[in-house]
Amino acid sequence: MKKTVDVAVPIGPVHPCWKEPIRIKCATKGEQVLSAEVELGYMKKGIERIMRGRPWQEVMFLAERVCGICSVVHNMVFIETMEAISGIEPAERAAFLRVIVNELDRMQSHLIANFSYCYTIEHETLAMYLLNEREHVMDLIERITGNRVNTAYMIPGGVRYDLRPEDAAAVQETLDLLEANITRYMGIFEDGPMIALRSRGVGVLTKEDALRAHAVGPTARASGISTDLRSQHPTYRKLGFEPVVRTECDNYARIMVRFGELFQSIGLIRKALAMMPEGPVRGGGICKGGETRYSGEAPRGELTYVVKADRYGRVEEIAIQTPSIMNIDACAHYMLKGALSIADVTATFISSDPCVACTER
Amino acid sequence: MTGMLQKLKNNVRSRSIHVAYVDTGSCNGCDIEVLACLSPRYDLEQYGIYVHNNPREADVLLVIGCCTPQWEDKLKSIWEKIPEPKVAIAIGNCPISGCVFNREGSYVNPPASKHIPIAASVPGCPPRPTEIIRAILSLAPIVFEDYEEKKQ
Repeated sequence: MKKTVDVAVPIGPVHPCWKEPIRIKCATKGEQVLSAEVELGYMKKGIERIMRGRPWQEVMFLAERVCGICSVVHNMVFIETMEAISGIEPAERAAFLRVIVNELDRMQSHLIANFSYCYTIEHETLAMYLLNEREHVMDLIERITGNRVNTAYMIPGGVRYDLRPEDAAAVQETLDLLEANITRYMGIFEDGPMIALRSRGVGVLTKEDALRAHAVGPTARASGISTDLRSQHPTYRKLGFEPVVRTECDNYARIMVRFGELFQSIGLIRKALAMMPEGPVRGGGICKGGETRYSGEAPRGELTYVVKADRYGRVEEIAIQTPSIMNIDACAHYMLKGALSIADVTATFISSDPCVACTER
Repeated sequence: MTGMLQKLKNNVRSRSIHVAYVDTGSCNGCDIEVLACLSPRYDLEQYGIYVHNNPREADVLLVIGCCTPQWEDKLKSIWEKIPEPKVAIAIGNCPISGCVFNREGSYVNPPASKHIPIAASVPGCPPRPTEIIRAILSLAPIVFEDYEEKKQ
C-alpha cells in the first residue's frame, strides 16, 4: 500500500510540555501518525571529553552533572566503578546509606516523571499533588546529604556523612506520610475514567518490540520484561529485592510501574533503616589503575560506565551509556508508529520518561 | 507626573508576570528547580507569576544552561519573539560562567550575555526555588514600572 504523507509535523525543540529541547518529526496522514523521527543534538556539551585526563576527584563531580534529575545514581555508579577497579569494599553501614539515598533519589525522579505525564494530559490537580509530595522527598535528601540536587554524597569506601538518629526518625515519619498520600494519588490515577481514556491502550510497546528496541527500566518492565540490575547488587540482595513488572504495555502501565516502584522504594528504605549496623561510614582506600565495565540501575534503566584509569587514579578513557537513548528510540520507532492521534504524541513521549541531558551529555 | 493609565498599567503588570524558560544545555538540575517553583509549597501563582513556556506571551525569560553552539541563533530568535517590555534572567552558574562545563575540549559558549542582554543572574548549582522566585519578584517591577514613560 502506498503511504501518502499529508503533513510532516515538527514538535519542539521549545515546547510548552517539555523541560528540555528535543525535536520530534511526525509524518501524519489526517490525524494518524505514520512514523516519527527524533532529532537530538541541542544539548551536547561533551562531558566525556572533559573527563579524560582528570583525576577521579574531579570526574566524580562531573559525573553527577551528566544528569541533574538522577544525579545520585550517576555518582553511585561512577564511585562503584572506581571501587571495582581498585578493589575497595565500602563500609557496611555506608552500603546501606547508599541504598537509602539512591532510593530517595529514585522516588523524586519517579514523582517528577509522573507529574510530567499528568501535566501533559492536562490533569493538573494530580500533577500538583505529586509535585508537592516530591518536595517532601527533596527535604529528606537535603537533610541527609546537605543539598537538594548534585549532592556528591558517595566517595570511594563509604559516604560523606553519617545518618544521625533524629534524621532516621524524620525519614520514618516522612515515609509514613508519603505512603498514605501516594496510595490516594495512585487510586485517583487507577480509577480516573478521563485518565484511562488518555492512557489505556495508547502508545503500545509490545514485548517483542521492547526486546527489539532494547528498552530498559520502567519502559521495559511495563512491557512484561523482568529486568532490573538492582537484583544483582549485593546490598539490594540482602534486602530481598523483586522487580515490579506489568504486562499492559501502554502509557497506563508505564505510569503504574513507577507508582509501584515508589512503594517498593519506601519498603526498601524501611528495611535498610532496620538492618543498618552501627559503625564507621568511611572505610578509606586508595584508587588504583585498571579498566572495567560496571552497570547500575538508574531510575530510567540500565546505566553503564566503562572506565580506564592509570595508577594514580586519573581517568584515561571513559564511556557512559545512559538509559534514555534506548527508551527514546523505542518511543519514536515503536510507540508512536501508528498512533491514532497527533495529540497523543507528547503524552506518549513523556510516558517513556526521556532525559535529554543524559542522552546527549 | 504619572498618568492614570500608567498607574493602572503598573498595577496590572505587578501582579501578572508571564514566564518562559529555555534550556540551552544544562544538566537538568536547574530545570527541575524551576519546575519545583510550580509546586503548591512555593506556589508561584500566588505572586501572579505564570509559567507558560511560550515566548510569544512571556514577559520574563529564564535562561538555563551553558549556551551550546546549537543555541546561538535560536536563543536570539526566541528573545526577539518576546514582546516588549521584557527581561532575561540567568538561572544557575552555567549561563554566568559555564560552571564545570567550561573546560578545554567542551562544546559550550558561555556566558549567555554574549548572545542576549541578561538583566540579572541567580548563581548556584542549582539555586534554590525560593531564590529563583525572589529574583523574578525583585526584578520584574523595576523593569516594568512606568515602561511607556521611560521609553519616551
